[in-house]
Amino acid sequence: MSEAAPHLVISGVSKRYGAATVLERVDLTIRRGELVTLLGPSGCGKTTLLRAIAGLAPPDTGTIALAGRDVTHVPPHRRNVGVVFQNYALFPHLTVAGNVAFGLKVRGTPKAEIDLAVRRALALVKLGHLGGRRISALSGGQQQRVALARAIAVEPDVLLFDEALSALDRKLREEMQVELRRLLQEVKATAIFVTHDQDEALTMSDRVAVMNKGRIEQLAAPRELYARPASLFALNFVGLSTRIAGQVVGAQDGMVEVVTPVGRLSARGAFQPGASVIVATRPEQLRLGADAGANSAAGRVRSVVFQGSRTLVDVDAGAGASLLAELSGREAEVPRVHDEVRFAWPVAETFAFAAEAAP
Amino acid sequence: MTEAVLSAPVVKPAPDRERLAALGFVAPSVLIIAVVFVLPLALLLGVSVLDSKGGPTTAHYVRLLGTPYYLGVIWNSLRLGLLTTLIAFVISYPAAFALARARGPLRSALLATLFLPLAASVIVKAFAWTILLRSDGLINTVLIALGIIEDPIRMIFTQTALIIGAVNIFLPFMVLPIYAVVAQLDGRYAEAAATLGASPAVVFLRVILPLTLPGIIAGVALVFSLSVSAYVVPTLLIGEKYPTLATTIAKAYLLARDPGFGAAAGVVLLAIAVVVVALSTLLSREPK
Ligand SMILES: Nc1ncnc2c1ncn2[C@@H]1O[C@H](COP(=O)(O)OP(=O)(O)OP(=O)(O)O)[C@@H](O)[C@H]1O
Ligand SMILES: [Mg+2]
Repeated sequence: MSEAAPHLVISGVSKRYGAATVLERVDLTIRRGELVTLLGPSGCGKTTLLRAIAGLAPPDTGTIALAGRDVTHVPPHRRNVGVVFQNYALFPHLTVAGNVAFGLKVRGTPKAEIDLAVRRALALVKLGHLGGRRISALSGGQQQRVALARAIAVEPDVLLFDEALSALDRKLREEMQVELRRLLQEVKATAIFVTHDQDEALTMSDRVAVMNKGRIEQLAAPRELYARPASLFALNFVGLSTRIAGQVVGAQDGMVEVVTPVGRLSARGAFQPGASVIVATRPEQLRLGADAGANSAAGRVRSVVFQGSRTLVDVDAGAGASLLAELSGREAEVPRVHDEVRFAWPVAETFAFAAEAAP
Repeated sequence: MTEAVLSAPVVKPAPDRERLAALGFVAPSVLIIAVVFVLPLALLLGVSVLDSKGGPTTAHYVRLLGTPYYLGVIWNSLRLGLLTTLIAFVISYPAAFALARARGPLRSALLATLFLPLAASVIVKAFAWTILLRSDGLINTVLIALGIIEDPIRMIFTQTALIIGAVNIFLPFMVLPIYAVVAQLDGRYAEAAATLGASPAVVFLRVILPLTLPGIIAGVALVFSLSVSAYVVPTLLIGEKYPTLATTIAKAYLLARDPGFGAAAGVVLLAIAVVVVALSTLLSREPK
């Protein structure tokens, strides 16, 4: 099978619990070796989708194909998926090595092979010396690694992580993000992470699926997701932004003219004149000073936050509108609070979204 | 890593003082245990090796362990204990899962049916069984009235009656400890095992059973030690035909006025219970 061939194909998957629709016609195709994150707020259906893939909660409608096989109604133990649960669910009655060996043992793998695979998996997560330990005698980070080793040891077709890092403290989590990505690439694993932490999603994945209310709003590489959000929801959920409400007064060629409290702005988007929209841009697009041919707005500086390599400037542009600008450390001129300033930003980096979709 | 950092600055009190303080806290309970349990036990052991004139003797033990009749008595007690425990376990294990899975009023109702009988004396319950099982009892009357049988079936004073009664009366002591463990069981263990390739049967054998073992062992230890030493249940439900260690002890004290022999029988009964409880504790110990 080639690297680019579809490996996990989810099509039209829906799931309801009682009256609530938790997943609504979800389509998602993942290539072999790809690392994909499901990112979304609490309750949007991330865990449910992961459980559907694992076979723990089969979908009501739609199909799931894994490694070229329709597994929609295959029970979990015949699927060959690896799951790392949020609280790891390590077996407390088994040792570290016993946990890692479990999947191979129940498959009837010969003992010599199991020993080798366990040693390899534990070495991979740097826990080779702890094979004989009880689970209760491990730190949270170590337990996380054992859970990973246990899932990897069976060489699953896809690895599923449900908030697998959220129980770790911030520093350890950030270390693990980088390490986990490297490790998964090393063993050429196909993996899906579930998280509501945008930094984790951007750090770990080749592509991010932004989920909202049981749907995938956008599926894109982290860079594209940030630079070209497909909806107001995706814009809000990933990164910071300036957002100004207004009315469309002119439209042509995928561009709109919008009247806002801070003046006329041009933005990318297809709307009829008269439509209510939100005009948005990312903070690093804003530059001090006016610029012909660019959008611009003026106001009084409300706050200046120094963050090391960058400085965030919040500007009150009047009529309830505000501008958020990010100035890099190299910029010579940084305004002070109460300064009157004007910021400009490129039309090509300005987006219009339907206003009623605002969360 | 982080734990080390967190615990490093904590100043620990001197170990000697710590130990002394701990001793102060446990001293009262140690005293109570000594007076309430150890003292009577020492008396029992003492009396069991005294003859009627107060001289030392092993005659009681020789009689108990050397006569076929009394070996039969010991076996009767063991049999009652083992059968009751086994049957109670077979009923209780699935019952505990059903109880843990039940929700709302059903669960309350099921728990009440388990707890309420504990409020009634064992004598009342054993009598209730005699009323049900007698020749002119409820079951025979109904069966005859329905024309299913012509003559009453002999149920009371049989071993079947004994075991049915014992299982019924001691059942809560098996269900409750197992239920306590099952209710705490995290469903994700079974899910994790399934995703690792374990079929439902394998999940049960390799995950559910080992994880509920502490509850099973507690239940087995409780029901066995209760039923092996039961007195009221065999007395009312089978009587003279099935002498046990407990009924033998009672006879030795009340009828034969032979406290030495009664004490020896008591020690043997205690030894049996201690062996079973010790075995259970050994089995339930965590793997290293
Ligand atoms: N077994 C269930 N029965 C009924 N409702 C359920 C069940 N499982 C999930 N839900 C509901 O489905 C919705 C989505 O749940 P899900 O666990 O997939 O959310 P999530 O995106 O993983 O959220 P979180 O980030 O909080 O973990 C929630 O509203 C939840 O209450
Ligand atoms: Mg979840």
